[in-house]
Amino acid sequence: MSKLKKIVEDSKNQKMKVIDLSDRGIQNLNEVPGLMMLEHVTHLTMSHNKLAAVPPSIGELVNLEMLNLFNNHIEELPTSLSGLMKLKILNLGMNRLSHLPRGFGSFAKLEMLDLSYNNLSENSLPSNFFFMTTLRTLYLADNDFETFPANINKLQDMQVLSLRDNDLISLPKEVGELLKLKELHIQGNRLTVLPPELGNLELTGPNNVFKADRNPWVAPILEQFMLGNSHVFGYIRSDTYKYLHGRHIHAEPAPPPKKDDKAKKACRKPLHNKNK
Amino acid sequence: VSMTSQLSQASCIRCRGGFSSDEHMVNSNGEIYHEDCFVCAQCFQKFPEGLFYEFEGVKYCEHDFHMLFAPCCGKCEEFIIGRVIKAMNNNWHPECFTCKLCNTPLADVGFVKNAGRSLCRPCHNREKALGLGKYVCNKCHSIIEEEPLRFKGDPYHPFHFNCDNCGKELTAEARELRGELYCLPCHDKQGIPICGACRRPIEERVVSAMGKHWHVEHFVCAQCEKPFLGQKHYEKNGHAYCELHYNQLFGDVCYHCNGVIDGDVVSALNKSWCVKHFQCTCCNTKLTLKNKFVEYDMKPVCRKCYEKFPLELKKRLKKAAESEKK
Repeated sequence: MSKLKKIVEDSKNQKMKVIDLSDRGIQNLNEVPGLMMLEHVTHLTMSHNKLAAVPPSIGELVNLEMLNLFNNHIEELPTSLSGLMKLKILNLGMNRLSHLPRGFGSFAKLEMLDLSYNNLSENSLPSNFFFMTTLRTLYLADNDFETFPANINKLQDMQVLSLRDNDLISLPKEVGELLKLKELHIQGNRLTVLPPELGNLELTGPNNVFKADRNPWVAPILEQFMLGNSHVFGYIRSDTYKYLHGRHIHAEPAPPPKKDDKAKKACRKPLHNKNK
Repeated sequence: VSMTSQLSQASCIRCRGGFSSDEHMVNSNGEIYHEDCFVCAQCFQKFPEGLFYEFEGVKYCEHDFHMLFAPCCGKCEEFIIGRVIKAMNNNWHPECFTCKLCNTPLADVGFVKNAGRSLCRPCHNREKALGLGKYVCNKCHSIIEEEPLRFKGDPYHPFHFNCDNCGKELTAEARELRGELYCLPCHDKQGIPICGACRRPIEERVVSAMGKHWHVEHFVCAQCEKPFLGQKHYEKNGHAYCELHYNQLFGDVCYHCNGVIDGDVVSALNKSWCVKHFQCTCCNTKLTLKNKFVEYDMKPVCRKCYEKFPLELKKRLKKAAESEKK
């Protein structure tokens, strides 16, 4: 405890802009008195703690550019969080979020958002989520999305979109409008087909990442995956595929069953049951 | 037999006459001469300092020997001792065989016969050109067939030069100004800076960048064509770009700060980082490529953080990595 106090005191006295409070067993930010008064702080790392909630006073840290809350027990976020007008990087990965606060999308400058390994789905996103047009990277791996909102096309600066290990039945064709996209991770979902519009994107270059394995692809797509990603893109750009895709969608096939390999996710466990 | 009787029998090898007892004798390699008979076969004078030259049994003083037998230089008419240049039906001292026009020694560079004269190659070309009413280029020394370009008083092929302003290969129209050559359009605008984009003179504010001058509104990003208006620009392959398009086109953009990477680039996981921004995604500890890190959704995670991942996730990630390899 006195160590935490010392960090706060030192930061206050020396105007240190970077504070590292990772892996200190913090359960409640009351254990770090004075932290929210450090207005000059720009980078705050609090990963690997046991925070269940973020207090609204986080909004006092008006100069924050990076906030790292990775691997906590957070279930609730304050609406004041998105009032951090200078925040560019927000890591909320590996928490217990099943919803986001109202108005979460009102960040002015947020570029990188990591919400991997939570309990989020298409119903968890506030209506203004896709107002964050400055977003460059969005990590939503290990969540529970079955569909993904078409509004993704509002995020025109998007370079990295990670939807690994969700329950996605389909990928919105609007992903094909994200012309700056360099990385797309959709492995471990329930996808059977790809929207032909995805062919608009160049995702097979040396600085690109396209990960799509572990999906129940229809046979013609699976065959192309065997040959390599560039073959997949060649194929989904073809008229043959456009026709097949149209027929497939029209037939409204039943979605493949859910996999239960994420049932043991740590973030599923209620806090009081957690037994180390 | 006494010595006296032997001497009385001796005779001079030249005049065959005997010697009186008080007469001086000259002995040269066992041949005996009267003092007055030991003279040059040509000028009948005594040998200066006793030095003589012998040819076919006949003795000559140095001067007459040279006169009769040594080669004579076609220029200075002195005898040639040492290296003899045989050329143009004559003998020459090396330093005397020179170009008839410019006096360059020709012994070692070779010469060309031009109207009975020995000339160096440049003089020959010039003479030939003059004969044709043409000039010889001062750079390549070959005849200028077209109009010559005069630079510092000498004629040249214009194509040996480029305009000091626009870099275009010059024609005979080019002008010399303050020791530099310019094409006619650039020459006419000297004194007033010329815009590198529109090539018109700049009357208002001048932007100097990339070794050229620009109208403020003409110094633009090569991609979006928006003027920089004093904002930072980035150069690549002779073009200027705004930060955004430089990033988009050349990719050395830091994944973390989204800025153009100044200095060393850390390349990993299909991305680039500033050295100081390459850090663990989970705890923000600085990493280098020498550190062991784990790839997690194509982001770097330090080993310490990875160890803290839930076991079920580590298992799934491991399984996924294996299936990806297949």
